[in-house]
Amino acid sequence: MKKLLSVLLLVSMTASLLAACGSSKSSDSGQSGTGNEGGSASKKVVAWAWDPSFNGAALKIAEELYAKENPGFELEVVDMAKTDLEQKLNTNLASGVKEGLPDIILVNDPNIQKYVTAYPGTFADFTDKVDYSQFSPYKVDALTIDGKVYGVPFDIGVTGMFYRSDYLEQAGFKAEDLENITWDEYIEIGKVVKEKTGKYMSTINPNDEALTSILLQSGGSWYITPDNKGNFVDNPVMTETLRVYKAIADSGIAKPVTGWSEFVGSFNAGDVATVVSGVWQISSIMDAKDQSGKWRVAPIPRLNVEGAVNASNEGGSSWFVLEGSANKDLAIDFLAKTIGGSSEFYERFLKENGGVGSYIPSFSSEAYSQTPEFFGGQAIYTDFTKWSTEVPGISLGMYTQEAKDALKNELPNILNGSDLTQSLANIQKLFEQQVQ
Amino acid sequence: MRKVSAAAIHLFLIMASVVSLFPFVWMLIGMTNSSSDIVKGKFSFGSELSTNINKLLDMTDLGGAFWNSAVIAVIGTVCTLILSSMAGFGFEIYRTKGKDRLFGILMLSMMMPFAAVMVPLFRMFSSMGMLNTPTAVILPTITTAFMIFFFMQNTKSFPRELLQAGRVDGLGEWRLFTHVYMPTMKPTYAAAAIITFMNYWNSFLWPLIALQTPDKKTLPLIVSSLASSYNPDYGMIMVAIVITTLPTVLIFFLLQKQFVQGMLGSVK
Repeated sequence: MKKLLSVLLLVSMTASLLAACGSSKSSDSGQSGTGNEGGSASKKVVAWAWDPSFNGAALKIAEELYAKENPGFELEVVDMAKTDLEQKLNTNLASGVKEGLPDIILVNDPNIQKYVTAYPGTFADFTDKVDYSQFSPYKVDALTIDGKVYGVPFDIGVTGMFYRSDYLEQAGFKAEDLENITWDEYIEIGKVVKEKTGKYMSTINPNDEALTSILLQSGGSWYITPDNKGNFVDNPVMTETLRVYKAIADSGIAKPVTGWSEFVGSFNAGDVATVVSGVWQISSIMDAKDQSGKWRVAPIPRLNVEGAVNASNEGGSSWFVLEGSANKDLAIDFLAKTIGGSSEFYERFLKENGGVGSYIPSFSSEAYSQTPEFFGGQAIYTDFTKWSTEVPGISLGMYTQEAKDALKNELPNILNGSDLTQSLANIQKLFEQQVQ
Repeated sequence: MRKVSAAAIHLFLIMASVVSLFPFVWMLIGMTNSSSDIVKGKFSFGSELSTNINKLLDMTDLGGAFWNSAVIAVIGTVCTLILSSMAGFGFEIYRTKGKDRLFGILMLSMMMPFAAVMVPLFRMFSSMGMLNTPTAVILPTITTAFMIFFFMQNTKSFPRELLQAGRVDGLGEWRLFTHVYMPTMKPTYAAAAIITFMNYWNSFLWPLIALQTPDKKTLPLIVSSLASSYNPDYGMIMVAIVITTLPTVLIFFLLQKQFVQGMLGSVK
């Protein structure tokens, strides 16, 4: 046994030494697209993305479309977790080392301003490369900093209220009863549903700020002001958002969950009657094949404040090109002609990966007007795209994450009934301490 | 009275083992179920094992990642054991001026969070042209203050008479180390090997930063990217986690006896 182990060790050591020697060569050639010295003859671009079956797959569609006109074009997608991608990008940018950086990178919308402002000159200016009037305005707003537009809008998270028509029918409600309601009406409906069917109306997760984000944007407000100050105190939309949040928790219509998988599990197992979430939630809802035909989608409820609408957004991302990339022009051209201006791209992206973009010309296509059996033949994508044009445009600012963290810290106290004005002042103070 | 307390201790131990074994059982059950069964909380074996394995092999270069992880963990562990034991031996056995001060500085280095040195380290490896190699992953932790301390503490119980006897017999210091010290300290080496192997095998942050192309990825990096997709396939992830966990479990069981001895002190 001992001998065997030591032989194994020896073999693996020599082999790996050899592998390490060989690797330096192969890594050089593997990075020809990422290097920053010349090499303009190369037709290969490298992109970082974080979900091979979603945004990675989208790039593959784009590559196929682009390669038709530009033979020899090649794209390498490096996929890693979103937080890992951010960590790597931050380390590279903070250390000033360009080695290993890609040409194209996917950025989560709330991070856009932070990156562009913190690392000036790092991302390529797209202002005249893409016709931004063809995209939903709120999506372009997120990409615009000081009059310049960076990157190409990609997927959106326009929200809807997914609901189980069978549960609601059982409780005596029709589809019209759910159209354009307020959150207070939602809670009342929820109480009836709970009483008549025993099912919860929704879930609530005190460690997650997804719902508050949705509510805020539907009222045209955000955690921070456009000049990056905390927007908690003296903000009527914020006060109303937290009032609604607490009312949902207090009314007993929400099933408490602590994490993402529990949240998904709650509707896959049929425990809840509605799910208020982004359009991308469709794929996890459709995972429960036994519930086919029972789901529908309605607009989300509305806040009881001036200017609030029945539409909002949760998440979304955009593609950027690094200014220092050797293949900058090729990468810009590739993105502008596919994701930045091809209806065909968006139709295929929806059909093959269930991804919804904000490219308006594609909305009238056959792909967007499909009527899935799972949703009882409702033209859900037509509805979602209609709502996407109603989403209020807001500035996501530089410190969305810090503001969310500050809020999360206080949410349990708010749910326990602490004075709301005092809590908001606490959140504002914590936020200011964090971004100082 | 004594019976009662024994029962209480057993009850506590049983509960503790249930709590610590549950994730493993859950993992093994999970790998045989589909993703939606897992989120629904199904707690019995399913029939999706081969589907999950095939999906995983389809989506990732699992063999490559396993090999990368193994190279880093095995070479890293061997080097760490040699270097740390030499340092621990030296610190404990030889009397030199300023030894305590030097050791104090070494201990201070344990307080430095890795995140603080990451950016300078990244620049350093970039200027040496060593990024994206296993060497870059191994070098920064090739000896750690903890490992040196661990060997030093265990060397305290090493009988000096053996060294004196060896010196009388005419052994040089190097041969004393390799022929007298190393065989005597086997349990310490075993304990240190398990800890170091585990650290290298599970290391995440630095490999993430230092390794740049997909073909160099280690297993934890693969698991992390699988788990972060918008609609994670939990069944497939469970298979990846089981494969990632197995080697450390195996090594632990192989060296278990020595490990326990090593933790109690090397020389009886």
